[in-house]
Amino acid sequence: MLITRRGAMLASAATLVGAAPLARPALAQSGPILIGWLAALTGPSSAPAIGFDRGVKFAVEEINTAGGVKGRRIEIVTRDTQGDPTKAVNAAQDMISRQKVNAIWGPTNSGEALATTAVMARAKMPNIHPCVVDSLIDPAKYPNAFRVAPSNGQWDAAVRNYCENVLKVKDVAVVGDTTGYGASAVAASVAAFRKEGANVAYQTQIDATQPDVTPDMLRMRNAGAKVIVVWSVSTGMEARLMNVRAALGWDVPIVGHPALGSGDVRQLLENERNWEKVYMIGYASCSYDANGKLPPRTAAFVARLAGKVALDDTSLWWVASGYDAVKLVAEAVDATGSSASDAIIGYWNSLRAYPGIFGAYTWTPEQHNGFPTSEVVMSQANSQKDGAFKLAPGYA
Amino acid sequence: MLSSILSTGFAIGAIYALIAVTYNVMFSASRVMSFTAGQVGMLGGVFGAWFILRLHLPIVVGFPLTLLACAGIGVLTEIVAVRPVIAGLEKHLYVLSTLALALMMQQFTAIEWSTEPQPFPRIVGRGFGLDEKFWLPLLACAAVILGLELLYRRTLVGRAFLAIAEDNYAASALGLPVRDLRMASFALAGAIAGLAGFAGGELLLASIANGPMLNFYGFVPVALGGLGNNRGAIAGGLLLGLFQQAANFLVGGVLVSVAVFSAFIVVLMAAPQGLFGAPPTRRV
Amino acid sequence: MRSRVAALPYVLIFAAAAAIPLAGDDYLVVIATRAAVYWVLVSGLNLVVGFAGQLAIGWVSLLTIGAYTTSIIVARGWLGPLPALAVAGVAGALAGVLVGLPALRLRTFYFAMTTLGFATIVTQVALAWTDVTGGGIGIAGPTLPAPLDSRTGFYLFCLALAALCTWMTLNIAASRFGRALVGLRDAEVAAEAMGISKAHLLVTVFLFSGATAAVAGGLFATLQSYITPDAFTFDLSVLFFIAILIGGRGSVLGPLLGAILLTALPEFAAPLVAWSTFLYAALLLVIVIALPGGIADLLDQRRRRKLPQDRLVVPRPDLVPSLITRRPDRPAMILSGVRLSFGAVRAIDGLDLVLRPGEAHGLIGPNGSGKTTTLNVISGFSVPQEGEVRIGDAPLRSGATQIRAGLGIARTFQTPRAIGEASLRENVMIGGSIEGHASFAECMLALPRHRRDEATLRAQAERCLRIVGLEALADERADRLQHSELRFMEVARALMLRPAFLLLDEPAAGLSADEITRLGALIKAIREAGCGVLLVEHHADLIFDICDRVTVLNLGRELAAGTPSEIRAHREVVSAYLGG
Repeated sequence: MLITRRGAMLASAATLVGAAPLARPALAQSGPILIGWLAALTGPSSAPAIGFDRGVKFAVEEINTAGGVKGRRIEIVTRDTQGDPTKAVNAAQDMISRQKVNAIWGPTNSGEALATTAVMARAKMPNIHPCVVDSLIDPAKYPNAFRVAPSNGQWDAAVRNYCENVLKVKDVAVVGDTTGYGASAVAASVAAFRKEGANVAYQTQIDATQPDVTPDMLRMRNAGAKVIVVWSVSTGMEARLMNVRAALGWDVPIVGHPALGSGDVRQLLENERNWEKVYMIGYASCSYDANGKLPPRTAAFVARLAGKVALDDTSLWWVASGYDAVKLVAEAVDATGSSASDAIIGYWNSLRAYPGIFGAYTWTPEQHNGFPTSEVVMSQANSQKDGAFKLAPGYA
Repeated sequence: MLSSILSTGFAIGAIYALIAVTYNVMFSASRVMSFTAGQVGMLGGVFGAWFILRLHLPIVVGFPLTLLACAGIGVLTEIVAVRPVIAGLEKHLYVLSTLALALMMQQFTAIEWSTEPQPFPRIVGRGFGLDEKFWLPLLACAAVILGLELLYRRTLVGRAFLAIAEDNYAASALGLPVRDLRMASFALAGAIAGLAGFAGGELLLASIANGPMLNFYGFVPVALGGLGNNRGAIAGGLLLGLFQQAANFLVGGVLVSVAVFSAFIVVLMAAPQGLFGAPPTRRV
Repeated sequence: MRSRVAALPYVLIFAAAAAIPLAGDDYLVVIATRAAVYWVLVSGLNLVVGFAGQLAIGWVSLLTIGAYTTSIIVARGWLGPLPALAVAGVAGALAGVLVGLPALRLRTFYFAMTTLGFATIVTQVALAWTDVTGGGIGIAGPTLPAPLDSRTGFYLFCLALAALCTWMTLNIAASRFGRALVGLRDAEVAAEAMGISKAHLLVTVFLFSGATAAVAGGLFATLQSYITPDAFTFDLSVLFFIAILIGGRGSVLGPLLGAILLTALPEFAAPLVAWSTFLYAALLLVIVIALPGGIADLLDQRRRRKLPQDRLVVPRPDLVPSLITRRPDRPAMILSGVRLSFGAVRAIDGLDLVLRPGEAHGLIGPNGSGKTTTLNVISGFSVPQEGEVRIGDAPLRSGATQIRAGLGIARTFQTPRAIGEASLRENVMIGGSIEGHASFAECMLALPRHRRDEATLRAQAERCLRIVGLEALADERADRLQHSELRFMEVARALMLRPAFLLLDEPAAGLSADEITRLGALIKAIREAGCGVLLVEHHADLIFDICDRVTVLNLGRELAAGTPSEIRAHREVVSAYLGG
């Protein structure tokens, strides 16, 4: 059964009906392993969550069919937070107090994560999330929170490097959406560009639902920008930027957020050609080498997904990291023999180059940003095949 | 820059003008201002995209089907949100019932269609120098103006509409089928809004965010031009479109909508009946 | 809206709420805290939407302002969290007035739109003003000092504030302010005639409502521990608004139950979370169509009591002197040279009239001759282009409807204007609103002066009801009464201020012959007590029976004036109007 968007939503609703909203008894060492999944499955920033969700479901199915973890099944408690911090806080508290989950994966939105961090820290709930805002990870304040994706700082470094040293441009326009993530990413990016001597000709935040981005593009062009750096998870807005770029006949590269290469974007483009000269953050694990091959571990993963999980309307790295998150919890319980909070956190703190599909994670008690910077690469957006990409031109 | 401001400004202004006309037609028939006007406009775009892109119907089928569907939603508004309320004594309830229905429409579409703006099909495929997404709304606006003129001046039905707008009681005393005329008025209003959404689909995309946006920006010309005054509404809509796009292109950023809202509230406070509106009727 | 409040439901609700932490479930505590915080806002908004009938849909703007104000003050270290909350309350009060100001000028739908505009403006400013609000990144919410920083401690703090707001709004509901608000909502014209100032009243409730909303915002920020602009959604605004309407306008208990219901609903039906706003809207639609009074209507016992069928209204004219005493030296009301046109239509074309205290003056004429317009000019609802109305030597400022009541001018209306859901007694008590001494704050806190006011008004209303013969129905809802009873109610209401001049606009319309006779006796007694009565009527017999002088209008001009016998014989009057 191909897991698609609609199916994901219905299935998660069914999951929750099945997992009745009654308080669960505290069976710590036996009974199913419960993983809470705070997903923004609907709303403008839902594309990543939908991708993660596929990976999560696949991992659960794989682990449970193989007999579970030390005989215990994995069960996911999904709550659709709709990108609303209020619902996220309610849902997090529900998972902690009532559902009594052993760990939480998510939330997927920085705005929600900013609100739920305190809630989870108070309860010492083991938490992995993919949100990139730098301030979310602080091993001293939030010893329970671990990041599985690169931080925004790591992303920004890769993009800056590409603009300055490969594309060799000095005048940049930095664009984000109006969410918490967009605001902080643009601010950090602009500051870093300036520090390195580049000229930020134009910076702005565009509302993701704004239908016509022509005015903004015209202003960028008039300001003399030679590259447009985009920090947004809104695939709709990014598609519109590309369409207007084509309509204006403006030959300028677009560089930035991984969502630029997502399958959604292709669907919203007026013309496949509009996807040319778009380079976005990619991951070594999800990139095709010169021979068109994925790294062995990823290739094996994709082979296992074939026929079960759709990849062409999403990104492989989303599916992979969702998968990894579940595996990380499962491995922790397996290795320590316990699903207690301390055990899981302790295990995670001991990981050195853990071979996940998405990345080789390293976490220590002082460092909770697990993704190695060396694995952040730049990819070519229109080379998407099964959710993975070719490396961007000029990228060593 | 200027050409962009003019082309986008007039196009989007035409859409606002059509929604303003929708408000007016609904109001004339029932003395009710309905929150559903903008939502039906949004549905015009959504239905168009759904019929033509998802269901792959040809445009000659998809377009009239869209208008029909929107007319149907107009009738639904009348039956569900207007009729039960105007019978009663508490007049203000219509604000609530139409608000409730508008919210239901928006949420339903958000869940069943998408929360993200979706692409809208190309209709004609030729530009005539100016891309069709700029002149389609203007064409629609002109068609509606002409159509309404013909309707009100030349046809019996149109004159009946004018009659019930002028004096409901007298009209029913004369034997006019007031209820059916009202339903027909709402169907007409729905079709006009649907046309606005369809013609504006390429510019605005098929997005649920269009609902509240059209509700507000379609209301501004009505408020400023005077309730029930179609000429004021159309002029107001075009001017609003130009003003908004000029601000958008020249200044840009989030503060554009703040500027428009603030200007609107200030003008309305100064002239509560609109700049060309009628003075308030006797209260006692 | 009742003066004597049954405390039991509130006690039960708050006792149950206070017991929640005992269950040891932090999730329940979080949801309950949220409900308490929302109720703090909704209780204030209830006065604006439920009582005053102003459809402020976009009130989330005040929540946003309160949340950011509190968070910014604490984050910058200017003040501690509790003083910051107080400052936010002040900011909210001022902002509330700003957002509410259009209500004074615009009609319902337009005002609703402007509040939506404000909500968007506030969110956009929060997004754009990055230096202060953190822009899209947002800002950390305040943390309260121990012991309020634990889940339970904070919850009990919010619950206490919610209880305080409930108490305060109940006090206001049962005060002259609460009644006046509902009066403005349901019978605006009558309210103005009774001297109630719409501007004053609305500004006061906007101050209160803005303050509670902003305090709720500060609590919200604390609960969330971090706020970003995307937390203040339109859905939230809709939730507040719908909670009040589902609960029922003019009630406090109803919206309280509504707020609890709407906060808890999506939590206990989690798969429906995506549909929650759809369900709220559907619920609203059902309520509006099927049960416009909301939950409060379901709970209202007064609707169920059976009323005796053949009720008679028997006024007691003999009691009038105990209310109004004759003052022979009071000046007369004089209209001179009044001219009023509506566009091209000459409604009044040069009218002179004198109304002396202790005299009943009849005003008759065909339809459209300008009778009601004359009353409207005296009341201030219509502004003449020429001429003046004065009492003695002092001219009445034309158009200033609210000063009339204070000058001793009271009136009834062609169609009775009553507040359906209020009791007869409450309807009459509104008539005496301007004689209350307690300020809004004193009412809010149920201070002694408010209690004295209420006792006085109540006693006065009972007296007036006894005079018109309706005291047995004092507790009944006005919308259950007969037309004739409402007519007499209007007279009772007009008597509350012991007026010097009483304007009656066709009070006999729809009354039976017996009732007309009794009405006549009542008016005679009022006249004898020293009041100057101006009676507009079509029932010629009534006019000739009780009036000392009669003026006949035709086409806006005086056709004839004199004693009843003179008029009865006047040839032109007979041919133009009386017939025969």
